Amino acid sequence: MSGNGKGKTMKKFITAAVCAVAALCICAQAAQPAPTQAFYAADYADVLSAETEQYIVDYSNALYDATTAQVVVATVPDMEGAEIREYGLSLARDWKIGSESDNGVLILLALSERQVSIEVGYGLEGALNDSKTGRFIDEYAMADLKKGDYDAGLLNLYKAVLQEVYQEYGLAMPEGVEPVQTGESDSGSTDIGSMIGAFITILVIAFLILGTSHRGGRGGRGGGSNDGTGGVGPFLGGMFLGGMGRGGRFGSGGGFGGGGFGGGGSFGGGGSFGGGGSSRGF
Amino acid sequence: MKKSTIVWICIAVVVVLIAIFAVSGYNSLVSARETVDAQLSNIDTQLQRRNDLIPNIVSTVQGYTDHESEVIGAVSDARAKLAGAQTTEELAAADSELSSALSRLLVVVENYPDLKADTQFTALTDELAGTENRIAVARKDYNDVARSYNTSIKTFPRVIFANIFGFEPVEYFEAAEGADEVPQVNF
Repeated sequence: MSGNGKGKTMKKFITAAVCAVAALCICAQAAQPAPTQAFYAADYADVLSAETEQYIVDYSNALYDATTAQVVVATVPDMEGAEIREYGLSLARDWKIGSESDNGVLILLALSERQVSIEVGYGLEGALNDSKTGRFIDEYAMADLKKGDYDAGLLNLYKAVLQEVYQEYGLAMPEGVEPVQTGESDSGSTDIGSMIGAFITILVIAFLILGTSHRGGRGGRGGGSNDGTGGVGPFLGGMFLGGMGRGGRFGSGGGFGGGGFGGGGSFGGGGSFGGGGSSRGF
Repeated sequence: MKKSTIVWICIAVVVVLIAIFAVSGYNSLVSARETVDAQLSNIDTQLQRRNDLIPNIVSTVQGYTDHESEVIGAVSDARAKLAGAQTTEELAAADSELSSALSRLLVVVENYPDLKADTQFTALTDELAGTENRIAVARKDYNDVARSYNTSIKTFPRVIFANIFGFEPVEYFEAAEGADEVPQVNF
C-alpha cells in the first residue's frame, strides 16, 4: 500500500519537475526573441509599419538572391539590462545572419533604452566599417529617431545600408523587387521550429528523469558512465556543429547546438560576427 | 597453436582499438588547441588595430587642445606597455590599462565642443568604440574556448592523452582585479 503511495508521489514529483523544466525552457527562450518567419524583419517593439516590414523583407530577399548577403532589421521593446552591442551580437550570432561568406548585417533598435546599433558580420566589415555605420546612423536615422518616427528612421537607415552592401558586390540597388509571398509574418507568432525544439527537449528530459528513477537500486555505475559521455558528447557535438555551420535562413533546431565549443557559432557560415559596427543613443 | 593465434588476434585488436582511440583523442586535442590559439591571435589583431588607431586620435585631439599632455602621455605609455607584453596575463593587464587611459582621454574631450563636432574625430571615436567592442568580443570568445579546452584536458578520458602528449592548460585573458571591465565609450 505504502509502495503504491510512493509511486504516486514519485509520479507527481516527475510531473512537477518536467513542468518546471519546461517553464524554464520557455523563459530562457523569451529572454531573447527568436527570428521571425519572414526573418529579415523582426519588429518585436511594434514600431514599423506593415509597408516598411514588407519593403525590408522584399528587398532583403532580393539582396540575398543577388549576393547571398543578409540584412536584418530587428526592434525590441527592451533588452532587460543588456548592453546594446552585446545584445545585438548575440542576436546576430543566434539567428545566424549572413551566409558562408559571413556577410550579415543586423540593424537593431531597443525602444525603452532608446538605442540603435548596427552589427556588421566579418565579411562586410570592409564595406561597412565602424565609422561608416556610425555616420549612417547620424545621417539617415538620428533626426527621425529623435522625433519618435522610428519607422522612417529605420527605413532610411536600412536603405543606406542596403545600398552600401550592393555597392560592395559591384551591383546597383534595384529600383523595384518582386514581392515575397509571406503568410502572416507577424512577430507575435511562435515559429514551429522552436515549438518542436521545446517539445523534444521536454521529451528527452522526461526520459532522463524516468530513466534515473527506474534505475534506483542498481548502484552508481550507470551514473558514472552517463557523466562520461555527457562530458565528451557536447564537446564533440559542439566542435562539429560549430565547424560545419549552415548558411541557412532559418536557424531551426535552436535547442540542439548546446555544445560548449561551438559557442555562438562564430566559426561556421552565418552568424559570424566579431563586434564590428557602432551604436548611438537617441 | 590455434589458441595462441586467437590470443594474438585479441591483442592486436585491443592495440588497434587503443591506437584509434589515442589518435582521435590526440587529434581533437590538437584541433581544440588550434581553436584556442586562433582566438588568441584574434585578440592580438584587435589590440593591434587599436594601437594603430591611437596615433590618429591623439594627433586629432592635440590639434584642438594644448594642455592635456598628461592624459595623452598616459595613453602613449599604456600603448608602449601593450607592445612589450609577453604573456597573456601581461597582455590583459596592459589592455585594461590602455582602455582606461583612452576612456580618460575621451572624458577630457567632453570639454572641447569643437573637437566633439569634428567629423574626423567622430569617425575615429566610432572606430575606437568598434575596436573596443571587438576586443571585448574576442576576449569573451577566447575565454570560452579556453575554458572548454582546459576542461577537456582535465576530464576523463582526454586527461590521459593530454598528459601523455603534454597538453598544458592555457591562461584566461583576464586582467587583474578591478580592471576586468572595459570602459564604455559612448557618444
